[in-house]
Amino acid sequence: MGRQQGWFALILALTIASAALLANYGLQLGLDLRGGSQLTLQVMPAGAITRVDTEQLEAVKEVLERRINGLGVAESTLQAVGNDQLVLQLPGEQDPSQAARVLGSTALLDFRAQKPGTEEEMRGLLGLKRQAESVLRAKRPPSPSDAPTAPPPPETPPLSSEDLSKALTSLGIQVPAGSREVDQIELLLRETNRRILGLYGPPLITGKDLTSAGRQQQATGTGWEVTLGFNREGGEKFASLTQSIAGTGRVLGIVLDGRSISEASVGEQFKVAGITGGSASITGNFSPEEARDLEVQLRGGSLPLPVKIVEVRTVGPSLGAENIRSSLVAGLSGLVLVAVFMVVVYRLPGIVAVVALSLYALFNLAIYALIPVTLTLPGIAGFILSVGIAVDANVLIFERIKEELRGGNTLIRSIDTGFSLAFSSIFDGHATGLISCAALFFLGTGLVKGFAVTLAIGLLLSLFTALTCTRTLLRLLMSYPALRRPTYFLPARQLPPAKPAAAQAGPA
Amino acid sequence: MTPVPSPRFRISRHRRLAWLGSALACGLSLLGLALCWLNPAIHAPLRPGLDFTGGTQVQVERDCAPCKAVSATEIRQGLSSLNLPSVEGERAPNLSSASVQVLDGGRSLLLRLPALGADQSTALIDDLAARFGPLIKSGTSVNTIGPTLGSRLLQGSLLSLLVSFVGISVYISFRYSGIFAVLALLCLAHDILITCGLFAWLGLLQGIEVDSLFAVSLITIAGYSVNDTVVVYDRIREQRRTLGELPLIDQVDVAVDATLTRSLYTSFTTLLPLVALIFFGGSTLFWFAVALTLGIAVGSWSSIGLAPTLLPVFSKR
Repeated sequence: MGRQQGWFALILALTIASAALLANYGLQLGLDLRGGSQLTLQVMPAGAITRVDTEQLEAVKEVLERRINGLGVAESTLQAVGNDQLVLQLPGEQDPSQAARVLGSTALLDFRAQKPGTEEEMRGLLGLKRQAESVLRAKRPPSPSDAPTAPPPPETPPLSSEDLSKALTSLGIQVPAGSREVDQIELLLRETNRRILGLYGPPLITGKDLTSAGRQQQATGTGWEVTLGFNREGGEKFASLTQSIAGTGRVLGIVLDGRSISEASVGEQFKVAGITGGSASITGNFSPEEARDLEVQLRGGSLPLPVKIVEVRTVGPSLGAENIRSSLVAGLSGLVLVAVFMVVVYRLPGIVAVVALSLYALFNLAIYALIPVTLTLPGIAGFILSVGIAVDANVLIFERIKEELRGGNTLIRSIDTGFSLAFSSIFDGHATGLISCAALFFLGTGLVKGFAVTLAIGLLLSLFTALTCTRTLLRLLMSYPALRRPTYFLPARQLPPAKPAAAQAGPA
Repeated sequence: MTPVPSPRFRISRHRRLAWLGSALACGLSLLGLALCWLNPAIHAPLRPGLDFTGGTQVQVERDCAPCKAVSATEIRQGLSSLNLPSVEGERAPNLSSASVQVLDGGRSLLLRLPALGADQSTALIDDLAARFGPLIKSGTSVNTIGPTLGSRLLQGSLLSLLVSFVGISVYISFRYSGIFAVLALLCLAHDILITCGLFAWLGLLQGIEVDSLFAVSLITIAGYSVNDTVVVYDRIREQRRTLGELPLIDQVDVAVDATLTRSLYTSFTTLLPLVALIFFGGSTLFWFAVALTLGIAVGSWSSIGLAPTLLPVFSKR
């Protein structure tokens, strides 16, 4: 009996520890349960790099982390998944569009000077670009975020549809039949951008020469500008660049990710020394959000490799709350029914099983809090399923005990034989389940992984509770002679009538 | 030990019936999968959901009680005239192919669209808010899955299923014997086939799609089915040791009879929480619970009626 008491003390200690753990740490709920957004970013190979390795992934992650910090989202997590993916979780964030904008672009910034002798062509292209931009801006459905700072009525004349088609043919663009006006304007914009880039010389200053970035409202107009600070080398380069084009009518182009975002002419007065002081500003007529996004990107630095957002999942907290509540109610009501069933069918051992299974649930939750396991809907499903298998272990044992009793064995011997005979099938069942879990965990993706983890924990614990908790509790109860009655295990009519005395005899 | 038992229930007496039933169910399932494949709108054995095809799914909840009725056509018409901002110079996708569902008596709207960028889905939700609003901000959910991610998910799921098959069969051949492993896999394939068959028919008739949770349920069914079969096998192995002189077919009968109560009770207790999930669980887990319920029911059927009765046929010496 001493051994039983040792086990019992262990179980008691574990119970107290689990309860304390749960009370102190609580459970982590996944985004699908508490609401939030999840973005999956795929790092794309570019240039000389054909395969993304962990080192490059780490470099991309570092830049993205700086950008996320710049956004100031609380509790966000960025994790590498596989060789070339990053998963960003933003709990509570309902509108991931800003994060997507800020994270998705490479933010490769450089400054270029216009080639000499292209002034005429540049003027025409810039005029078209401004017109197209203002038309597009007016056409866009007003979103609440940029409503208060809608750009002022453009000073450029509106683009009529004849002007548009003329401009398109002058640039040699084939318009697909039946395309909408918006699409045509975008086509125009892309082509002008491509041609403007063609008029620039090579990049002279890059984002690496930046030391700081900020934003402020433009002195004139309502738009915002992004301010830049250069390091010493960058400041010198900027001075010589501006000096070379000062007063010529040629422009300084600021190019972001292959798009000319600002074209500035430099005044005559900088002819001598260029613009010195190591700072500059980009006046691209930005909305406040655009200015902030660009600031965050420039501060975080440019990405060593481009990324693509391949997955965005958003769950509203009300959806999440509804899901967790109904799943919990369903799970609990199902378990209550299982408990009733066990007690009705197995009597005294049934009660023991219910206690053991309650401990099982408690241990499970404690382990979730300890590791910690983030609970998601598939995770809860995995838990419910593991409960099913844990119950199965108890059923197997009790059926065996009943069989032994029907065969005329004594109570204590029946219990021992029941446990030892049921063991091999319980073990095999759990082992095959764990094999599946391993396959799911190592080869499956996010959702599947969560399921595999909770199921595996459940299976391991079930092996422990069925063989230890149930057994210890049952043997402990059997030490009270008043409880040592076969009729507490199965109906009297199923007992062999011949040897009632043997069943009462107890252990030798 | 137990005296030489005379089973109350002899499974081998009914084995032809059991085989016939399983063959019929498998045939129906194969038919469903084939019809799904031949259906030009699906062109796959099962109707793939967002997780596998890629795209954007937008769900919004309207703040109204009672809600003014909206029709799917009404929503779709608005979509085709919507101007979405372009992303990285790529033209915004055409939304006229979107599928629209109106749920809960017009309270929530579910839109399935080609993959959209963040700005684009924001513009779309703003447009929906303007036309059918006000919307409950916290009830909005946007899911976008890139097309490559979808195929990767499918590959990952299939691969993990396959690897767990191999792992399980290696384990069973090690613990029991090769024939047991083959039969366990046969039963497992039978259980998965029938579950897939049901969803093929559901996809054909009700437009139900399979998602990554469905893949999870298949793997769970595989694990459960093997667990169930192993218990019967364990009994047969034990029987062989104690009743070696009996013909195999009688040993099987004894083993099935001895484990019948346990098999039924276990299925019943596992099904209880699942059935509760079907009736009271959230909509997210509904089809998951349906798949598991069917799979577990079929799983215990095959472990009682199929795996043991096929054993004497396959191990004729």
